[in-house]
Amino acid sequence: MAEQFRHLYVVIEHEDGEFLPVSLEMIGEARRLMDDFNSKYSSKEKVVAVMLGHNIQDASKQLIEYGADAVIYSDNPELKDVRNTIHTKVISQIAQDTKTLGEIEAEYATDIQRPRYMFFAADSIGRHLSSTVLTELESGLASDINQLVIEDIEMSHQQKTGGKKETYEKTLEMYRPDFSGFLWTTILCLDNRNPAFPRYYHPQSCSIIPGVFELPKSDSSREGKIIEFVPTIDTEDLRVKVLGREVIESEVDFETPRTIVSFGRGIKEEPEQNMKLIEQLAKELNGEVGITLPISKKPYQVSSNLDTKYMIPDRVIGTSGHKTSAMLYIAAGVSGAMQHVWGMKDSGFVVAINPDEDAPIKDECDVFIKGRMEDVIPLLIEEIKKQIQIVEAV
Amino acid sequence: MGQLNIAVIIKLEPDFSEGNVSYNPDGTLNRAETKNTLGPHSAIAAHAAFFGKVMYGAKVSIGTMGPPMADLALQQAQQISDAEELHLYSDRLFAGADTLGTAEVLKTGIHKMKEKMDIVFSGHRASDGETGQTGPQTAWKLGFTFLGNVISYTVDMETRILRAKRLISLQGTPNIIEEIEAPLPVFISIDPTYKSSFDKVSQRLAFHKYQKEATERADNYKDYFTMFNAKELGVDETLVGLPGSPTIVYKVERVPKSTATRKAEVVDGSDPEQIKKVVAKMKEALDAMVIK
Repeated sequence: MAEQFRHLYVVIEHEDGEFLPVSLEMIGEARRLMDDFNSKYSSKEKVVAVMLGHNIQDASKQLIEYGADAVIYSDNPELKDVRNTIHTKVISQIAQDTKTLGEIEAEYATDIQRPRYMFFAADSIGRHLSSTVLTELESGLASDINQLVIEDIEMSHQQKTGGKKETYEKTLEMYRPDFSGFLWTTILCLDNRNPAFPRYYHPQSCSIIPGVFELPKSDSSREGKIIEFVPTIDTEDLRVKVLGREVIESEVDFETPRTIVSFGRGIKEEPEQNMKLIEQLAKELNGEVGITLPISKKPYQVSSNLDTKYMIPDRVIGTSGHKTSAMLYIAAGVSGAMQHVWGMKDSGFVVAINPDEDAPIKDECDVFIKGRMEDVIPLLIEEIKKQIQIVEAV
Repeated sequence: MGQLNIAVIIKLEPDFSEGNVSYNPDGTLNRAETKNTLGPHSAIAAHAAFFGKVMYGAKVSIGTMGPPMADLALQQAQQISDAEELHLYSDRLFAGADTLGTAEVLKTGIHKMKEKMDIVFSGHRASDGETGQTGPQTAWKLGFTFLGNVISYTVDMETRILRAKRLISLQGTPNIIEEIEAPLPVFISIDPTYKSSFDKVSQRLAFHKYQKEATERADNYKDYFTMFNAKELGVDETLVGLPGSPTIVYKVERVPKSTATRKAEVVDGSDPEQIKKVVAKMKEALDAMVIK
């Protein structure tokens, strides 16, 4: 029974054969998980990369070097641009194609039905693709994951097990930080073993936050299977036409400036005034302004120019936004939730301004200025004017 | 040419605005003390539907799954979109549903609406759950073409083809605006940056007319409102609520405090002398960029 589901499939994202970093990060994490899995369960389950596109045969070979045991690819001009419908259909076909599953491991060819696990990227493409693929496959999906563990879980659950104690073997524990950044929720995708409505829920799937897992090193001596899957393409699934694509420059630039001044809910006492102070501080340092995730939800009423300029998702530093390695990072009224810290921890010199010495940001900064930003920022600005003259580098 | 029918799926969410939101001392959301409101992304979806009303005279319907008090969110969304039909899908059987179980309810609800839908809108994601999965999952169950991150759209009413721009942001690459076209019906998950704009006088006149109508309707929202339980909706009970949810929340824990990555020097923010020293350190850190 257990062998109906084997392997971990990773859906690769790329731009004309150039991998997005998250694709390789997922391969690296998949490799780590399945190496542990295989030694723990004395098994030989594989990391299988799934890649769709046009003229991608060469690129798919590289996935083996990064850690995949096998690559299943579909090469077709209709798959050049990612279009949700046709990509969902082809990935779902691949996940249910017992022939390719059998090619991965001939000895299990007779029983295998589907992958055991499946990974997608939590970005503009993978977030939606994972949703529609898992709807087509009628299985479970957790989004925005930043930690993964595989374990046997013993539990009794009113609905899942009908209240009986059961062991769910080889269960993927999918950890996701919640919107506050202080709570971590573990999601499981479990078969219904309740006799009232028994049902398989495989693959256990998730979308993974880009930038969270390490990039694996390429090893040209690695070998693996490359399998072409020729999809069935129905013209009905090609109704979306891509008319054009235009690259846009973001107004927010976290790459060039060497200073980033971020703010969080600590602006709340005088949001308008404090945002102006932060704006001024950033200007004095020729820096960019960042925000924490809660601020992008526009929790405060401020004048519309400040609102539309600053309280926007594009400015979020953290797992839901950007990662920075600024030379100077100033966190004003930022508590230091895990998602935010992920986005700023690679900065050079970190200054936090916060009245609360117990705030987690204290462990992530070099200087902790204890005080309200209303009081501290004007002093900082005054002193910066005296000490630091910034001339824009040409 | 025919009529354009638009549905919006929305969600009642915690109100994260100051004064309405309440946090526990440990920084987590205090749900009991936090008020509820129409989710901000749902509101944007309602605005996108109202654009269809103003531009094409669309007929708007709204559906939500939630507790009985979610009628508040329907009323708020009606105020934005001038909807003529409000659906609340509410049953204890729906409780505890994950996104797949929720999508099944919403799909069934949309089928139950008076008109056959041409466009269904959802918000980008909920502010509390933040998965962004319910929209695309509902789309797939409906068999509609799914378009995510849509920042603007127009409809050719003759050919029944929708044109839209989508904002695609991927790790390590500049953002891309993709222009696409697709025949109706489509399901659109609207991007947070979406903004309706009405350039012509006739459009602005229609805007004001329908806005007034929306206020009148929202004042009497009960006239447009229907609540459905599982039986009335006719859902397959094994596909909704907990039985229809592949995933469960296994545990919720505080994020473990990571080991301190830096050793902070604590300074008194009210002492100008100490601030002076901090700025000197900042200067040191920035020295590579300071050209004297």
